[in-house]
Amino acid sequence: MNLLKSEWRKLIYVRAHWGLLIAAILVALLGTAVTPVILDSNAEAFGLGLDQPDAIDAVYANAISSYFFAIIIGIMLMSGEFRHGTSVATFLTAPKRGTVLANKLAIAAIGGALVMVIATASGLLGGWVALQFFDNVAEPSSGVFLNTMIAAVVSGAILGIVGVALGTLVRNQMLAITGSLIYLFVIDPILLTLAPEAGKWLPSGLITAMLALDVQAPELGFDTTNYLPALTATIVLLGYGLVFGAIAIATSLRRDIE
Amino acid sequence: MAVIAIEGLVKTYGKQNAVDNLTANVQKGRITGFLGPNGAGKSTTLRCLVGLSKPTSGSVTINERPYRELENPLSKVGTVLDSRGFHPALTGRQNLRVVAAAAGIDDSRVDDVLEMVELTEAAGRKMKKYSLGMKQRLALAGAILGDPEILILDEPANGLDPAGIAWLRNFLRHLAQGGRTILVSSHQLAEMQHTVDDVLIINKGKLIASGTKEQVMGDGTLEEAFLKLTGGALS
Repeated sequence: MNLLKSEWRKLIYVRAHWGLLIAAILVALLGTAVTPVILDSNAEAFGLGLDQPDAIDAVYANAISSYFFAIIIGIMLMSGEFRHGTSVATFLTAPKRGTVLANKLAIAAIGGALVMVIATASGLLGGWVALQFFDNVAEPSSGVFLNTMIAAVVSGAILGIVGVALGTLVRNQMLAITGSLIYLFVIDPILLTLAPEAGKWLPSGLITAMLALDVQAPELGFDTTNYLPALTATIVLLGYGLVFGAIAIATSLRRDIE
Repeated sequence: MAVIAIEGLVKTYGKQNAVDNLTANVQKGRITGFLGPNGAGKSTTLRCLVGLSKPTSGSVTINERPYRELENPLSKVGTVLDSRGFHPALTGRQNLRVVAAAAGIDDSRVDDVLEMVELTEAAGRKMKKYSLGMKQRLALAGAILGDPEILILDEPANGLDPAGIAWLRNFLRHLAQGGRTILVSSHQLAEMQHTVDDVLIINKGKLIASGTKEQVMGDGTLEEAFLKLTGGALS
């Protein structure tokens, strides 16, 4: 419990982490507030209008678009130790590195999940408010809110863990953050579009699949027909978390602390 | 009785031996100066001692156990390795509270040690606004947080002005009076002469002298002995 308390303090004492939470809320709000406007003005082109449940589900699905902040928090928690040299104090106080990392992974999972819960809930609320400004709006699918919140918790926790693992592997903080953002926003979407069979096994495809959406709007780059079932996607994403967590423990245990 | 025992320590980076078959002991209740030119292997040795670097071969033990196997090590060994080690965006107090929480130490002890190193007024200020002297004092506060019997200090006087060095001298004497064992590395030899009981001198990773300060100095000063032993490689 001592190490958990220490890692928790590292999470809440650093103001940049609170800045990330605020940014995550803003991104989620923006995502759900703008989507109805885009869908409403391009309904014919997209073949999807606000009078269809699929469209409303797609609006609320954007509440989860802040997921990349969870990975950034994980990276900052770990690579910040090397960037500022606090790893020295950390491992002097608790020299059993596997134990330290296990506690850091736990706090990253909690932090990532909390950020995602708050941001996603804000996004869902923002989407609901935004939709009040339109007429003839369909009702969302019955499970969309619950699925979105479950996906938020699970993806936030796992991406927090993945972030810690990346921060261990790539100790340069800026490089780790930039690299992961490029992957999530450039490489992952390209693979998802060009090679959907492979892309659906990658983080973006898995997180979308966890929402259990049934939306066919290829013009929007959004077609869930070939995505994995929600439970399978959740298990695969958990697998990513376990593999990256194991890599973090294995690599950090071996290297000298500078 | 040897509290710290270094046996045949070798630490290699690539093809270079940073520490080369070093064997030395630090006796209980003594202040031991660990001296050597820059790059002699002092910091590498200390990092191996506290488990941050893995020895290529040999062993380093504190109270006959490797550092990594000590129960709650902060209560047994306090360490200052450099003025980094604290998060610049956190206050001095927050930085110490993070360490205290990990070691299961009550937060009230944080305020006690901040007072001991005369940082109470600056405790709520972000560490990045601290001067080098204040950072060193914060590091010392972290080292005594667990009220340890052993202190390992790597160049604690580095970058300090004369007033800071005088403060450090008094602080170390105060700690030593409590019977603590202190291993302090430095190349400020005049200062060390006034502070230490025993001396270990290394050069190019090898031990070249050890004993009481008087045995090593002979009739001269510590600086003269050091220059003679290291071939004038003071810098």
